[in-house]
Amino acid sequence: MKVTYNWLKEFVDIDISAEELAKRLTNAGMEVEELVYQNEHLHHVVVGKILKIDRHPQADKLVVCQVDIGSEVTQIVTAATNVFEGALVPVSLAGADLCNGIKIEKSKLRGVDSFGMFCSGEELGIDDNYIEGASVNGILILPEDFVVGTAIDKALDLDDVIFDIGVTPNRSDCMSVIGIAREVCAVLGKTMKEIDLSYKANGDDVNNHVTVNVLTDNCHRYMAGYIRDVKIERSPMWVRRRLNAVGIKPINTLVDITNYVLVEMGQPLHAFDGALLVNNHIIVRQAEKGERLECLNHNEYSLDSEVMVIADEEKPVVIAGVIGGTNSCINENTFCCVLESAVFDLKSIRLTSKRYGVRTDSSARYEKGVNVASAEDGIKRALHLVDKMGCGTISKGLIDLKQKENETRRLEGSINEIDKILGITVEPKIMKRILDGLSIKTEIEGDKLICEVPPYREDIENNNDLAEEIIRFYGYDKYDELGLALFANASVTEGRELPRMSLENKMKNVLVDNGFYETLNFSLCPPDVCDKLLINDLRKEHVTITNPISEDISCLRTSMAHALLVDLETNLKVGNEDIRLFEIGRTYHPKELPVRHLPIEKNRLSFLVNEKGFDFFHMKGLVENLLLITSVEYKLVRSKENYLHPNISADIICGENTVGCFGKIHPQVAKNYDVDADTYYGELDMDYLSQYQEKGYCVKAVSKFPIVERDIAVVVDEDKTCEEILGAVKSACGNLCYSVNLFDIYRSATLGEGKKSMAIKIRLSSTDHTLKDDEVNGVINKVLKALQFRFGAVLR
Amino acid sequence: MKEQLLKIKEDALKELGGVKTLNELNELRVKYLGKAGELTLILRGMRDVAPEQRPIIGALVNEVRETLESAIKEQNDKLELEALNARLASERADITEPSKGSKRGALHPVTRVLDKLISSCVDMGFSVVQGPEVETDYYNFEAMNIPKNHPARDMQDSFYITENLLLRTHTSPMQARELEVRKPPFKIVVPGATYRNDSDSTHSPVFHQMEGLVVDEHVSMADLKIMLNELMKRLFGESTKTRFRPAFFPFTEPSIELDVTCPTCHGEGCRICKGTGWLELLGAGVVNPKVLEMSGVDSKKYKGFAFGIGIERLAMVLNGVPDLRTLFKNDIRFLNQMR
Repeated sequence: MKVTYNWLKEFVDIDISAEELAKRLTNAGMEVEELVYQNEHLHHVVVGKILKIDRHPQADKLVVCQVDIGSEVTQIVTAATNVFEGALVPVSLAGADLCNGIKIEKSKLRGVDSFGMFCSGEELGIDDNYIEGASVNGILILPEDFVVGTAIDKALDLDDVIFDIGVTPNRSDCMSVIGIAREVCAVLGKTMKEIDLSYKANGDDVNNHVTVNVLTDNCHRYMAGYIRDVKIERSPMWVRRRLNAVGIKPINTLVDITNYVLVEMGQPLHAFDGALLVNNHIIVRQAEKGERLECLNHNEYSLDSEVMVIADEEKPVVIAGVIGGTNSCINENTFCCVLESAVFDLKSIRLTSKRYGVRTDSSARYEKGVNVASAEDGIKRALHLVDKMGCGTISKGLIDLKQKENETRRLEGSINEIDKILGITVEPKIMKRILDGLSIKTEIEGDKLICEVPPYREDIENNNDLAEEIIRFYGYDKYDELGLALFANASVTEGRELPRMSLENKMKNVLVDNGFYETLNFSLCPPDVCDKLLINDLRKEHVTITNPISEDISCLRTSMAHALLVDLETNLKVGNEDIRLFEIGRTYHPKELPVRHLPIEKNRLSFLVNEKGFDFFHMKGLVENLLLITSVEYKLVRSKENYLHPNISADIICGENTVGCFGKIHPQVAKNYDVDADTYYGELDMDYLSQYQEKGYCVKAVSKFPIVERDIAVVVDEDKTCEEILGAVKSACGNLCYSVNLFDIYRSATLGEGKKSMAIKIRLSSTDHTLKDDEVNGVINKVLKALQFRFGAVLR
Repeated sequence: MKEQLLKIKEDALKELGGVKTLNELNELRVKYLGKAGELTLILRGMRDVAPEQRPIIGALVNEVRETLESAIKEQNDKLELEALNARLASERADITEPSKGSKRGALHPVTRVLDKLISSCVDMGFSVVQGPEVETDYYNFEAMNIPKNHPARDMQDSFYITENLLLRTHTSPMQARELEVRKPPFKIVVPGATYRNDSDSTHSPVFHQMEGLVVDEHVSMADLKIMLNELMKRLFGESTKTRFRPAFFPFTEPSIELDVTCPTCHGEGCRICKGTGWLELLGAGVVNPKVLEMSGVDSKKYKGFAFGIGIERLAMVLNGVPDLRTLFKNDIRFLNQMR
């Protein structure tokens, strides 16, 4: 919401600077987002009089002027062609910093000194709405009555300051100059000046010209006035300047008046060309299906019963509260005008505005809710301006159809409750003073605050609302002075972490210690992501956003792999090497399609490595270390995950559940993501694993007898797994087994095709005696026999 | 014999002076003191010595042996020290050579901020909960006192799944979910991902928030002020100051926005805080009694306060990240600066 300092001053005696006011409004909850001084770029610019113009000795297109700038006569070289001796012009001197970025310095133009520059309107940031001639292409020639040497901002009266205020949605009453002025009054402890709503009505009765019928519940009040002998012309300078300052383009008298009142009073108005309304009979109704209207934005809209329109006896003429039709608008031939001031239901306007994608100053205002009382003040203020500007003859009386009343409400507040909400004690008379200052007339009766809430403050309903009004003027800084203790009167509660997040944190630390970087990815993905990942199961069914920003992020992911592969691709593209990444995030699985219920959201950990020398077994070690944090019991089986290499990957199985997978990326997937195939990826189901956080230990005594170590190497067929072989060794060793480890695998032509030699270190120990050679040899023989019997293994 | 002994002593000490290595020293020891050493041979010859001479010669033998042993030991210690020094001098690492083994990675800055916030809040008696990211219109809006067609819905452009389901626009819906099931008094924080239909250098369609909610018979705006002040001090350091500005959120009343003294310039005014010395960080307020009532909590008996913190913004401020989008690029060159 834009308002200006001078405009506010019409309603409040402001005795502090604009800057100070902005600060105090912000502290009271009216956040001043920007403060623009109209004269910001007008310093070092003065009114000058050209005394003499000479030809430039070196340049045909330049002239050398002697200029009286009040304090002295100075020399300026210019290329301007519209200057003449005796002309008054704006002169920018050294130090000026014009709004188009030009900074003025003393200079030499083709060898002749020039101490400044003459300015055009554009260079001063103004147009014809500020002073006649400012829009002309060329130097601005100032009126003869300007005083030489005067600063240009003073001479042009450009001393206003524009406040851009972020009005919160609950304060629609502040979407106007008078609304902000009311807050200024409360801030400064002043009383608002009366708004001049008076006007002379010299015409005959409005009812002789206009009839209104309201046929819909969505119109809470409809007022109409009639003006004849309308003069459609340029508005006076002061109106145009004000509109310009708040960012509205001046058009003509009547249109400018409606805009002026919208800004000043917060009341949208609409002006019809009376001659274009059939019988001047206005009907407010819902549209009929099939009706169409071409609007001022040159679009034609098809209407139906959801849309409220203003119509005459034959046709719709306005989409109510949103946008006018071209068939009845004010134009240069308009000689009579029907002026509408209405209050429409905010929901109706909102829906229509949204549906057609049309947002006007009027609809924006109605959407926030316009007060029923404001229609009357608005139309009267408009007619006051018509009278003041002399742009028409106003008919006596106003048509007023009201379907809803808006009255001052009585609200009972509790001083004690307000103190409890605020946590401090505010003196009742201070409460009263603050509320009174906001025009909420308040009496104190014991603990009670008896408040009369004005109709425009619909947001004030209970103690919390009163508490807010009080504290925002009492000042939050008061808390800092009191030295209060935290939760002084509150119950003691014990803080607990979320078990799953605790586990995640432990795993994150393991990963970080192992060189992984944590990533943060959107949980959104493109719809074809499963094709890229070769996923061909239920996960192809995504939860889909109906209004996405782009297709790339239009679905909720069902797998984590996509994000890390994209991250890898990004990193490889910029030349990064040795990439280890992980992510904690969610996947989202619809319960049914089309989606009707909340989907299942699963918490997962994913990790990826692309690094020279890193292989499946490094990944396996990492996974083992991560799972060691939990007490989960699991086994590994060949992975069914399609995006992993079918023979270099594993699923992690706990009972019936697959709680994770890891392995080499499928070469086709690697190709799809433009990454090299030597990439390893893994994923864990954190919801499942977080059930296994409590880890208990039951240790055995360490044997005091020495460990005996023997190495064996056996040749077996390639298809025998390490797990099978080592398992057989362990069971053959029986209770003397301390550890069995594979320490080498050797393949060569001499061994034969499809054969491998496995070197195994066996460590034996007993808890009750020192092992003798015979005993050890017996165990090793048993091992070799078992391996030979079960796997055809041959000792090497 | 006496002369023999003195000669051995003299020769041995003389030889000892020329010994350069531990090996030579050992040879010398064997030569004089070994099983077939010169001194040992003398001792063997003791039986030929006249009995009255034996104690004198015996004492002399012992004296010579002790002298030699101690001289040899001394020389031994000296040579060992020399050898040790020589070895130390020869073994030398260039400590500026690169380290080996995998280097530590790093947590994402957003995680680090969140961890700090969460642990601070847990210290203050808050429990951590999380909720669904796909939400119903009811929890995301209605229960947060944002009815259909309310202007406040404009504040949050939503991603819709169906007419009734959407990606939560804030972590606030967990307020309602917890109010429905949790018995006051309680204090909770809700970290998590949130979504808005908005994307530019200061807005990301996916971002993170942490919601806080306290419900108690005796809790007030004053507690909110003190608590947030403490939280900000833990985050930005002891000298940090906070200020409240009145604001509007449909689910709190009164509502505030919190500013902290700019951690970059400590309130002096800089580019980050646009010269104001303050940074706007979060929204908060006293829980609107309508919100309590809608979720079945007696607003006559219980009061509450709530706050919502945008995590990315904090991460940017704390780490000097200039562009929000950098946080989601996951370029190692960015991430490895925060190890």
